[in-house]
Amino acid sequence: MSLQGKRVALPPSPVVHRRFEEHVRATPDAVAVVWSGRQVTYAELEARANRFAHLLTARGHGRGAKVGICLDYSIDMIVAILGTLKAGAAYVPFDPAYPAARLRLLLAQAPGLALIVASSTTAAMVESGGAEVIDLEQLADHLATLPATVPDVHITGDDLCYAVFTSGSTGTPKLTAVRHEGWFNLMNWLQREYGLHRGSHHLVVSAFGFDLSQRALMTPLFCGATQHLMASRNFDAMLAYRMLTQYDIRVVHCASSTLYLLIDWESARGGDALARLDYILFGGEALKSERLARFARRPDTTCTLLHQYGVAECTDVATSYDLAHYRPGEHDIAPVGRPAHNTAIHVLDAELREVEAGQYGEICISGAGVGAGYLGAGGPENARFTTIDMDGTPVRLYRTGDRGRIDDSGELVVAGRLDAQVKVRGMRIDPTDVERALGRLAGVREAAVVAVRDDGGDVELNAFVVPSGKDLAEDDLRTRLLRTLPRNMLPSRFTNILRIPLSPHGKVDRAALADICRPRSADSDSAG
Amino acid sequence: MTRPLAVTTNERNAVTADRVRAIWRRELQRDDIMPDDDFFALGGDSLIMVRIQGAFIEELGAEVPMDQLFLNPTVGSIAAYIDSRAAPAP
Repeated sequence: MSLQGKRVALPPSPVVHRRFEEHVRATPDAVAVVWSGRQVTYAELEARANRFAHLLTARGHGRGAKVGICLDYSIDMIVAILGTLKAGAAYVPFDPAYPAARLRLLLAQAPGLALIVASSTTAAMVESGGAEVIDLEQLADHLATLPATVPDVHITGDDLCYAVFTSGSTGTPKLTAVRHEGWFNLMNWLQREYGLHRGSHHLVVSAFGFDLSQRALMTPLFCGATQHLMASRNFDAMLAYRMLTQYDIRVVHCASSTLYLLIDWESARGGDALARLDYILFGGEALKSERLARFARRPDTTCTLLHQYGVAECTDVATSYDLAHYRPGEHDIAPVGRPAHNTAIHVLDAELREVEAGQYGEICISGAGVGAGYLGAGGPENARFTTIDMDGTPVRLYRTGDRGRIDDSGELVVAGRLDAQVKVRGMRIDPTDVERALGRLAGVREAAVVAVRDDGGDVELNAFVVPSGKDLAEDDLRTRLLRTLPRNMLPSRFTNILRIPLSPHGKVDRAALADICRPRSADSDSAG
Repeated sequence: MTRPLAVTTNERNAVTADRVRAIWRRELQRDDIMPDDDFFALGGDSLIMVRIQGAFIEELGAEVPMDQLFLNPTVGSIAAYIDSRAAPAP
C-alpha cells in the first residue's frame, strides 16, 4: 500500500537560499530576524551572509565543504547558516546545550569539517574536534572588508545543505545529510499548501540540533517573513509565551511534548496568544491527543494544528494531518496524514513488498526528500537507503524502521518502532547509546537500558547496572552520566542487578528487563 | 512588598531557600533534598523544571529564565539568584 503526494514542478535549481535572495531583492527593508531586542533587515542579513560566504570560499571551503556551527540562537547563527549555504557548503549544527563530552563524541563522528563557527561562550566546547574554530565577532573587522555581493558559486539541488545527528543502529550517533532539493521541496510545500506568506512570522522553540529546528529556522526566510529567536540556550516556556504575546508571531514548529508545555502554560495562566496562531506544526513522537483536546476545542482557538511525521534521513517532514479531522472515537491513534509534495509513503513487509490496505508494515519514504545518506564511515544503517522495483520502475527509498499502516481514509498512522529505538520527548534514542555511556562509568561492569511506558503513557528509559563492587547510588549515576549525555537521554530509573538476563540467542533480554520494571513501579506507587 | 529593615540578607536567603526547597520537594516528589543537591542528579528533568519555573512565578513572584534554572541547579544557588534579582538597588 502506498500514498503518493501531489507532484509539483520545482525550479531547475531548487536551491534554498536562492529563494531567500529573491525576497532580498523584492523586500530588502523587511525585517528578517529579531533577537534579543535587535533586528536585521533582509538586505542587512544578505550582506552579512554574503561576506561570510566570501570568507569561506577564500579559504577554499566552497561547494561540498561541511561547516560546523556551535552557536546559541542569535543573528550570527542565521548569518553563519546562510553564508555556509551561499558558499556551496553544508552546515552541521552542534547544540551548545549539550555536555562537552557529548559534543566531543559528535565531533568525532563528523570528520572533515572545514571549520566550526562558534562564539566566545561556545568555542571551548568544540575545540576538541581538530577543525579550526572561528568567531564571527572576532572576525568582524576582516568580514567588513569582504564583498557584500552574492558569491559566484554554482549550486544544484543535489548539493548538500545540512547534516544533523540521528541515532545510529550501533549505539553511536550518525550524521545524516540532506540535499537542497529535498529542503526546498519541503518548504515550498509548506508555503503553498498552507498559504504561508510575508506575514507568516515564526518563533523557534526547539533545540538547534533537531532536524525540525533547521526547518523552523529557514521557513520564514523562505517565505519572506520574520524570524524571532529567543535569547535562551534552553527551551523556556515563560520566555516563549512572552514572545508570542509581544510579537505578531503566526507560526511555531515544535515537538509534540513542547506543544503540551506551551498549552499547559497558556491554560494555567490564561491568554490566547497560542490559540490565535495561524499554525502549529508538531510531531516527532506518539501523540497524546488528550493533552491537546481541551485546547483544540476552546472557542477562541483559531490555530490550525498540523500533526506531522517524518525522519531526519528524509529531510524532516514527510506527511501532515490537520488535527481538526481527528475523531478520538474513530481513531485509536491520531493519523499523521498524507505525503508532502513529490513524496510517497510505502508500507512494506520484511521482503519490501507492499502490504494490503489497512495492514501494518514498515513505513518507507521515497521522493524528493530522500536524503544523501549517512556521512562518514559505512555502517549497517546505510542499508536503510535502498532501491526497489515498483511496477517496473526503480524507486530509491528509505526504510524508516517505523511501523505503520494506511487507514480507510487514506491517512498514514504510525504505531511505533520495529527495533529497540525509542522516542523520548521527540528525540529518537537508541538505548545502546545510553548503555555505552553507562558502561564507561567507573564501578559499572555492565549496563542495559530498556524503554517502558510510565503511568501517564510517557516513554521513559530504565537502566540496569551490574556493579563491579558495591551497589551504585541512583543520584551518583545520574550525576556522572550528566557529564556525557544530553539531559533527555538520562534514564528515569536505575536498578542494580546481579547479571543482565540474556535471550537464548545471547542478546540482552529486553522483555525480561521490562518485566522487572513493572512490579517495581507498582511497589513505589504503594509506598508513595 | 516592603521588608522590615531588621531582616538581614542571610535571613532572607534562608526564607527563600526554604520556599524553593518546598517547591522542589513537591515537584520532585522527594523529601531528602539538601541545599547543594543537583536538580538533575535528584531525578529532575526539563518537564519538571518548567513546572518549577511556573511555581516560582505564582508562589514567589519571581520570573526566572530557564537558562538561569539550568545554571543554578541547586536549591542554594537558585535561591541566591532569586534574592539577588529581588534585592533593591544599592
